[in-house]
Amino acid sequence: MRDFELLEEGLTLMALGMGFVFVFLTVLVMTITLMSLLLRRFAPEPVEQAATGAARPPAPAQQDAELMAVIGAALHRYRQRHRR
Amino acid sequence: MEKLVTLWYGSGAYNLTLGQAVMIVVGMVLLYLAIAKKFEPLLLVPIGFGGILANIPEAGLAISALDQAIEVARPAVLQQMASALGATLDPLAAEETWRATLKALVDEGPSPDQLRGAHDVAVNVGYGDGLLYVFYKVAVESGIAPLIIFMGVGAMTDFGPLLANPRTLFLGAAAQFGIFATLFGAVGMSAMGWMDFSLEQSAAIGIIGGADGPTSIYVSSMLAPELLGAIAVAAYAYMALVPMIQPPIMKLLTTRREREITMTQLRPVSKLEKIVFPLALLVLVALFLPDAAPLLGMFCFGNLMRECGVVERLTDTAQNALINIVTIVLGLAVGSKLMAESFLALETLGIMALGMVAFAIGTAAGILMAKLMNVMSKMPINPLIGAAGVSAVPMAARVANKVGLESNPHNFLLMHAMGPNVAGVIGSAVAAGVMIKYLG
Repeated sequence: MRDFELLEEGLTLMALGMGFVFVFLTVLVMTITLMSLLLRRFAPEPVEQAATGAARPPAPAQQDAELMAVIGAALHRYRQRHRR
Repeated sequence: MEKLVTLWYGSGAYNLTLGQAVMIVVGMVLLYLAIAKKFEPLLLVPIGFGGILANIPEAGLAISALDQAIEVARPAVLQQMASALGATLDPLAAEETWRATLKALVDEGPSPDQLRGAHDVAVNVGYGDGLLYVFYKVAVESGIAPLIIFMGVGAMTDFGPLLANPRTLFLGAAAQFGIFATLFGAVGMSAMGWMDFSLEQSAAIGIIGGADGPTSIYVSSMLAPELLGAIAVAAYAYMALVPMIQPPIMKLLTTRREREITMTQLRPVSKLEKIVFPLALLVLVALFLPDAAPLLGMFCFGNLMRECGVVERLTDTAQNALINIVTIVLGLAVGSKLMAESFLALETLGIMALGMVAFAIGTAAGILMAKLMNVMSKMPINPLIGAAGVSAVPMAARVANKVGLESNPHNFLLMHAMGPNVAGVIGSAVAAGVMIKYLG
């Protein structure tokens, strides 16, 4: 008799738990979708730019010039080699 | 000569029981699995070592001052403790009977005052709480250690893939079926008379299927502390075995064509969305399931620290130094539960078997849910990522990626699988909350 009750309790908890997990995560899906929609509508690109801007600080000008020189030299060499 | 005999009586070799010897070997096996086979070494090394320490005879590292005094104190002290507990010891009986009587008295649950009195007697004559016992009391019984680890996990988790494709949350939900099916399995085994698990114990065993170490430890410390050792070992051992358990099930349940499905590129997710998400989740938890608030609250806190970008020092501590410290304490504390009398039981075998079933069912449920979603919606979903719904971050996602690559070498599923993977973490925390609500 006690066994039967235990089984029944287990079944109840299973149905309740699984049901609740699904309901909760469904609500979460709706919340996320809504949140994304709102955020993309009312706070669109500036956020994106601010994010990338903060993540990658502009390289110092001097290094930039050096880089350009190196790339230029490499390009020059490549073109010369492939002309023949 | 008499001194020598005393020394011999106090030695480990004289006092070692068979159970302790077996448990020391079990600890060594765990260490072997961790060191040679790389099974979740971060946890199994401390757990295995803690298990060995807990079973050193006479050292009493894993028991309280009171228990230790009962086991080894002089007869005069035993009598003092008995009077503190409000009982008298039969002067004619042997010393061993006294110890057994006292143990029974303590287990019966005397009033807090009496217990404190007896504890004070033990402390006064020089017995102290064992190191691992203190670790367990402070870190696990209070629930602190699993929660701090959860905070660290939150600080390491990137919800980007989930936010880009929120439907994958359903996969994380489906995989939690493993938890509840196993719970029912454990109850069924008890009903058939094979094992003797209560509903609380069954729930704690089921949570192994959540494939989430801290959640399992948290739930079992609340619902079934006596099974904590076996449950934690099963959870971490099977998490390490995910790359072996999952692929056969994944291949069995999917056709080659399904495994070759390529998924559409995930959209980029803005920083603001990532900051708002943990807060939104927290509000939902507060509204619907306050019992999951400790777990998910710490998780959201860790994640908010990561995404807000203004407290990098705190994030760094949460995901490195702090989580490492807590892991050491937690591992040793779990090891203290690997004591012969509680671990060497038929129930442990049952827990191991059920844990395996839990993983298998969770994986299958995730895959089947993905197939169902494929039928119902136009956006293609590769069913393999459903298997990642059983948390086990990031192992399960890597497995999904690997099996996908075997069918189509240009199909990288890793980022897509991370969605259900972190959804599984949320799902198992919610499941844990439901169980604690229902049974706590």
